[in-house]
Amino acid sequence: MSDGRTKERSLSFLNKDFDMDRFFILLFFCGLLGCSSGQPPFRWVGDIDPNPKLDNPNFLLCHSENDVRQYFNMSKGLSFEGEKPAIVSYFENNYKPVDVLESGWIRVRFIVNCKGQSGRFRMLESDEHYKERPFDKKISNQIFTLTTQLSGWKILQEKSEAVDYYQYLLFKIKDGQIVKILP
Amino acid sequence: MLKIYLFLLLISFQNVYAQPNCNYYKLSGDQKKYEACKAAEKREGHYQFSWAYQNALDEALAIDSTFSYAYSAKSTAYLKSGDFVTWVELMNKAVEIAPADHLDYRGWCRYQFFRDYEGAIEDILWLKKLNKNHIGFSVNGDYHLDVALALCYKATNRTDEAIIILENKMKDPQFMTGLYDHLHLGVMYLEKGDYQKASEQFKLQEQKNDLAENRFYAAIASRLSDDEDSYLFHLKMAKKHYLNGQKMFDPYTEHIDKIFLSDITNEEQKNFKTEASEVNGYVLRRQ
Repeated sequence: MSDGRTKERSLSFLNKDFDMDRFFILLFFCGLLGCSSGQPPFRWVGDIDPNPKLDNPNFLLCHSENDVRQYFNMSKGLSFEGEKPAIVSYFENNYKPVDVLESGWIRVRFIVNCKGQSGRFRMLESDEHYKERPFDKKISNQIFTLTTQLSGWKILQEKSEAVDYYQYLLFKIKDGQIVKILP
Repeated sequence: MLKIYLFLLLISFQNVYAQPNCNYYKLSGDQKKYEACKAAEKREGHYQFSWAYQNALDEALAIDSTFSYAYSAKSTAYLKSGDFVTWVELMNKAVEIAPADHLDYRGWCRYQFFRDYEGAIEDILWLKKLNKNHIGFSVNGDYHLDVALALCYKATNRTDEAIIILENKMKDPQFMTGLYDHLHLGVMYLEKGDYQKASEQFKLQEQKNDLAENRFYAAIASRLSDDEDSYLFHLKMAKKHYLNGQKMFDPYTEHIDKIFLSDITNEEQKNFKTEASEVNGYVLRRQ
C-alpha cells in the first residue's frame, strides 16, 4: 500500500500534457536527483513533507528530512512540561464542547524540532468505526488550532544531541466532547 | 511423524509478531504462501517505517493476497505513526482472512492506542470463542488478554464483572500474575469502596513490582480508612518512587491507573482530616 502523498504526486504528473522537452527536462532532473525505478517513493511511513501553503515558514528542522525521529524512538514516552495532565487541562480549559452528535477520533500529527518548537501540523479524522470522514468544523477547527498553539513540548536527545521528532495527539470524541487524549 | 513436525512448525509462529516459519507452508504443500513468506523475509533488518520493509510485504501480498501476516506486519508502522485509518484497513484484512491469528493484536491495540473499549471487548470475546478461552497476552507482554478485558470492563462501568475476572485469574494456580495485575485489582476495590481488599492487593503489588502507583493508591486507601501514618508513609514512598523513575511506563501510550507527579503533589496539598472518610469509593480519573 503506497502512502497518500505519493498517490497525489503521481496523479498530478499524469494530468500534465507531456511533450518531449518536458520529458528531457524531467530526465535531466531525474539524473540529478537519482529517480529511478528503484527509488523509494517515500522515506518513512507517515512522513510529513513541508507545504508552503499550510506550514509556518519560520518553522525549520535542525536536521535533514531523513532524520526526523518518532517520539517513542528515544523511549521517553510523551514528553511535555507538566506531563500529560498539563495537556489534558489545557484542552479542558480551552476546548468548547460542541453540541453535535458526532463521535470518533481526530489525530493531529506534527514535528517537534530540536528547539522544542512544533510545526507541520496535519489532521486525520474518522468516525467511531475508524472510517475516515470529516468532523463538524466547529469540533475539528478547535482541536487543530488548540494543538498548534500548545507549547511545552520537550526537547528530546539522542547521544546528547537534540533531535527533530514526530509527535501526535489523538482525541477520542464522543458527541462533540473530548473524552480522552492519547497517547 | 510429518503431522507432528507440521504441528511444531505451526506453533512455532503462533505469535503473529514473530517471523513466520516459511517451511510450514512448504511442507503443507502451499507453495504460493511459501513464496509469499520468503518474499516477506526480505524485510528483515529494515525498520518497520521504511519503504524497504513495507515493499517486501507488498511483494509478499502480490504473490499471495491471503498471506495475512503481511497485512498485520505492514499495519504496525501506521499504528505507531497515528494513521489509524490505514492501520484498521490493514488489520481488518488480516482478521478477515485469519481471525484466530490476528484478533489478539487488533483487540489489544484498540484498547492500548485508542481506548476503544467496546471494540477491544468485541475482539477479545470473539477470540475467546474461537480459541476456547486460550487467548494469550498483549503485544507488549504486560497483560494476559483476560486482564485487558477486565480493564475494558472497568472503563465501561462494569467494574463488578472486571473484579470477578481478575479474582478468578488470581485463584488459578496456572496463572502467573502480570507486572501490574495486583495494582489494577486493588484500584478496582478502591473504586468500589473496599479499602481492606484494596490495601491487600497494593501490598501484593509492592512485593511483586513496587511502583509509585501502588504506593499512591495505598495512601488513598489509608486516607479513606483514617490511617494517617500509613497515608503519609505511602504518599512519601509514591513520590520517591516516581522521582526515581519507578513507575508505570510504556513508550507509546499510558497505562490505565497510571499516576503523574501532579497527582501526588495535589494529594500532598489536601487536608487529611477533612478529606478522610467523606466519600465511599475513589476514582482518580475515569479513563
